Amino acid sequence: MSLTPTPLTSAAGPTAVLRQAVLEAAASFVLALLLLGPIVGLVLDGYQIKNELQRPLLIAALVALGRFLFTLALHTPSGRFWLERFSAHRGKTAILVQSDSDRQHHGWLLLLFIAGLALPFLANKYALTVLIQAMIYVLLGLGLNIVVGLAGLLDLGYVAFYAVGAYGLALGAQYLDIGFWTALPLAALLAALFGALLGFPVLRMHGDYLAIVTLGFGEIIRLVLNNWLSLTGGPNGIAAPAPQLFGLEFSRSAREGGLPFHEYFQLAYNPLHRFIFIYLVLFLVVCLMALVVNRLRNMPVGRAWEALREDEIACRALGINHVLVKLSAFMMGAMVGGIAGVFFATYQGFINPASFNFFESALILAIVVLGGLGSTSGVILAALVLTILPEVLRAFADYRVFAFGVLMVLMMIWRPRGLIQPRRRAFDVEGL
Amino acid sequence: MSTFSFTRGLLSVALAAGLSLSGGLASAAETIKIGVAGPMTGGNAAFGAILFRDLLIIPLAGPMTGGNAAFGEQFWRGASQAADDINAAGGIDGKKIELVKGDDACEPKQAVAVANRLIDQDKVAAVIGHFCSSSTIPASEVYADANIVVITPGSTNPKVTERNLPTVFRMCGRDDQQGPLAADFIVKELKAKKIAVIHDKDTYGQGIADAMRTRLKELKADNRVVLYEGLTRGEKDFNALVTKIKASGADAVYFGGLYNEAGPLLRQLREQGVKAAFLSGDGSLDPAIVTAAGGPQFVNGAYMTSVREARNIASSQAVVKKMQAAGFDPAGFTLYAYASLQALADGMKGAKTSDGAKLAAWLKAHTVPTVLGPKSWDAKGDLKDTSFSLFVWSPDGTYREMAQK
Amino acid sequence: MDWHILAQQLVNGLTLGSIYGLIAIGYTMVYGIIGMINFAHGDVYMVSAYLTAICLAVLFSCGIDSLPFALLATLVAAMLITAAYGWTIERIAYRPLRGSNRLAPLISAIGMSLVLQNGVQLSQGARTQGVPSLIPATLRFGDEETFVQITLVQVMIVVVSLASMALLHWLIGRTTLGRQCRATQQDRRMAAILGIDTDRIISTVFVIGAAMAAIAGVLVTLNYGSFDFYIGFVTGIKAFTAAVLGGIGSLPGAMLGGLILGLSEALFSGMVNTDYKDVFAFSLLVLVLIFRPTGLLGKPEVEKV
Repeated sequence: MSLTPTPLTSAAGPTAVLRQAVLEAAASFVLALLLLGPIVGLVLDGYQIKNELQRPLLIAALVALGRFLFTLALHTPSGRFWLERFSAHRGKTAILVQSDSDRQHHGWLLLLFIAGLALPFLANKYALTVLIQAMIYVLLGLGLNIVVGLAGLLDLGYVAFYAVGAYGLALGAQYLDIGFWTALPLAALLAALFGALLGFPVLRMHGDYLAIVTLGFGEIIRLVLNNWLSLTGGPNGIAAPAPQLFGLEFSRSAREGGLPFHEYFQLAYNPLHRFIFIYLVLFLVVCLMALVVNRLRNMPVGRAWEALREDEIACRALGINHVLVKLSAFMMGAMVGGIAGVFFATYQGFINPASFNFFESALILAIVVLGGLGSTSGVILAALVLTILPEVLRAFADYRVFAFGVLMVLMMIWRPRGLIQPRRRAFDVEGL
Repeated sequence: MSTFSFTRGLLSVALAAGLSLSGGLASAAETIKIGVAGPMTGGNAAFGAILFRDLLIIPLAGPMTGGNAAFGEQFWRGASQAADDINAAGGIDGKKIELVKGDDACEPKQAVAVANRLIDQDKVAAVIGHFCSSSTIPASEVYADANIVVITPGSTNPKVTERNLPTVFRMCGRDDQQGPLAADFIVKELKAKKIAVIHDKDTYGQGIADAMRTRLKELKADNRVVLYEGLTRGEKDFNALVTKIKASGADAVYFGGLYNEAGPLLRQLREQGVKAAFLSGDGSLDPAIVTAAGGPQFVNGAYMTSVREARNIASSQAVVKKMQAAGFDPAGFTLYAYASLQALADGMKGAKTSDGAKLAAWLKAHTVPTVLGPKSWDAKGDLKDTSFSLFVWSPDGTYREMAQK
Repeated sequence: MDWHILAQQLVNGLTLGSIYGLIAIGYTMVYGIIGMINFAHGDVYMVSAYLTAICLAVLFSCGIDSLPFALLATLVAAMLITAAYGWTIERIAYRPLRGSNRLAPLISAIGMSLVLQNGVQLSQGARTQGVPSLIPATLRFGDEETFVQITLVQVMIVVVSLASMALLHWLIGRTTLGRQCRATQQDRRMAAILGIDTDRIISTVFVIGAAMAAIAGVLVTLNYGSFDFYIGFVTGIKAFTAAVLGGIGSLPGAMLGGLILGLSEALFSGMVNTDYKDVFAFSLLVLVLIFRPTGLLGKPEVEKV
């Protein structure tokens, strides 16, 4: 692996190690200075330059020191031990086959489920909104996982379906006067339809050509939403209705004819109620989706997805209708994205095209890859990490996004195969 | 199931990474302090500070990262200066103001998250922000819901106050006030026969361009609009659009957008030999447009509407001098953020509370002296006196207010 | 439409297309050799734009008033430092991931792109920056009112792009390095067995791609005069689209894709509507790929069993 310095023979004495460490530190000092000197040290001010050269010098010195210590550490037994642990994860095979004996413990899952249900009652509003966002990303991750993780189709424009769902609710409410509960299935269907629309022509393409076409599709949807002013309100966005509980509204004062939830139950108004309600519905949907995806994986269609991902030619030779199988994955994924969009719109109360840019797609893809490409629990974990992390990083103020980028790279290096290895249930051969 | 050990491993690594990162960042921050003065999004002091109980926290929400971070910086600089000045003068009835940064990157989703965080986590007393109208609109719903006053120094879209949320104020004008000024000028002064209207497809830019057109319709001059198109924010090549403007034969070009795009657009217009008059709104009236355009010769003669230039008002001179001495030119929205904090401070002194409803009622009933002069608000939270005026750029890369007729 | 307007739009499109092409080379070469979409490439181009402005400002403040010398020095410095960026990014973010699944480097690249964007924003501030208009020379054809104009910088952009493309084409096709590159591209393990240092070859490709981005950065900065830390993303997506349109992995394809994309954007914008020019560009890509699934000049993928 690359981080390892050129190996020394075991006979090399401490002086040789020290010499190598100094040399490497010096090299990284020069490199850091070359890279950061102009960009960090010479600050543009109009057409003038302001000299801030002490900054790159300091950073380069830190880099050199780090490199020096790193090289030294690698020549100690404990350092090598850690390095081996660090790189141990990379060699594993892609999929673990799980025998019946170490099946998941349903007790733990039940406990998690109850904890998830109880969580909103313990959290404050900010924590709750972060949780809702995290759950939306879990849903998105689960959806894209079907497309990328299971079926192996690289989709860089997944955000399009998310947007279709969100705008489905907002536009439906505005023009057709439908509410959250009607919009939920309708938007899901609409997104699936869009999935089919996109999927049908592009499924002939391979790997990365598919990626760029989906990227283009995502951009097209966003641009059309932004430009079609008379329908979508363009960049000004559009309001989305809050969900109702059997006709009761979660707002301070009801719209015409409605009855607010808090008045019906004679409670003091608390904006938390709405978020708790959204969270609970969302949580149940996420659990349902996780269950469905898990079941699908063990059904013929799920097996076909994974088989197609591994070897398309073999699958076609075996008579699997590859277009149909891919299309089903695409539509399933799109549908889940659409549902997530509906939740996003209702939680946000207001949507505009800026929420559906390419970075969103990239983030969802990062969730799937970090989750381990195909592992449901991995996707859930990664979604939680990648949505809660930026909020935690708010403490870094200006360095927030920078730190997020650094952590993204580090996490990939640390676990290139994702946080959790996908598992696959073994067939019980003896039982056949 | 091994999820648990994985989680633990992840946590420890995240922690370690965080720790080492914070170590690295702390030293980086120190270096920044030494350097000071540059166009940095500086001033991290508010973070990590221990919050005392009798400290009033007023956050500042706006784009601190992303494409509009320059405006966030103006907000932060202006509000920080105001906080320092007010604290030096004894604070608000003995309580010191502490500012908290809230970064929304001009994204509605982040704006809502930030709003909730400021309310619940930082327990803020009031908010100055946001910048992009598309962020202010959803975030203000959250503030209104939590009964917290929000003053935006820069969101000019009418919708911000048109929704009649009781605790929403602005320290700037509205697009439907500055657009008409430009329209009047184009029709009555320039007597333009063909008008090209360009916007940047964003809430602010398109809003102001449409407000301009509405006024043109009132003046029965809408048939003079020969071109109405949107460019994409972030791009630098507008040559195709410029050639189209040239082909349309327009003798006036109105651009609704920010200086980032106005600069290159203006340069490419002039480079292709289009001599049409160029007009834009307050988003473009920024000294940085000279750099963005590639020299003062390109912006020379361009007209821009804006609220009165804050740096020229008599009441702002002391603050302007102080900030310039500290190495920051309080351009654009800087002084508006300053004034917003002054208004909040005065309101809290006057109303003796930071309760949103009471503070809002007080602000709507009184006139507040600010760095921008005395300000008062109507029932919607709009300023009562927002006299926009027209500015014109000189060949030396500065601009001056045109005499009012 | 008048002839001079049409001709002017062609000039606009050619300029824009050449820039897309230059940046697309970086995408296509990296993709060709390790099959990875280097999302940080656009940001490397952004860094080079900053380097251009910084170098020019430093040179002018040192009292150097010979414009050709200043430009040449800037070009060399920008290429050198940007190449170092390319090398370092590959070393830090991609090499440790070699041999893992195909998507891991993609995510790492997105992370790297965030690091570059925000690193530059943190150190240089968020303002739009610029360089003064240095080369105002223009050629005008036609009379006073109806003319087509080509600026010297536009000529430079087209010429330099085509020349760089030709040079690279020769480099890949005729030299030892090129043969090693192609060998690595076809079968990395086999190439390694035959004694090619594949890691070094991959590094070289990143360095060449970054240097091309640096040329684009210098030319663009001279042409438009303004840039910010976000241009890498905006232009990067387009350049990548161009690379795919032309057939990713193919050098002439990158150039062709860039030119087609630039021309179609300019012509659509000029004749139909600017609002929808990006929609048109992406639709064009989708259409081309439906009928030619490997792009215009891409080799049909051999399905290995």
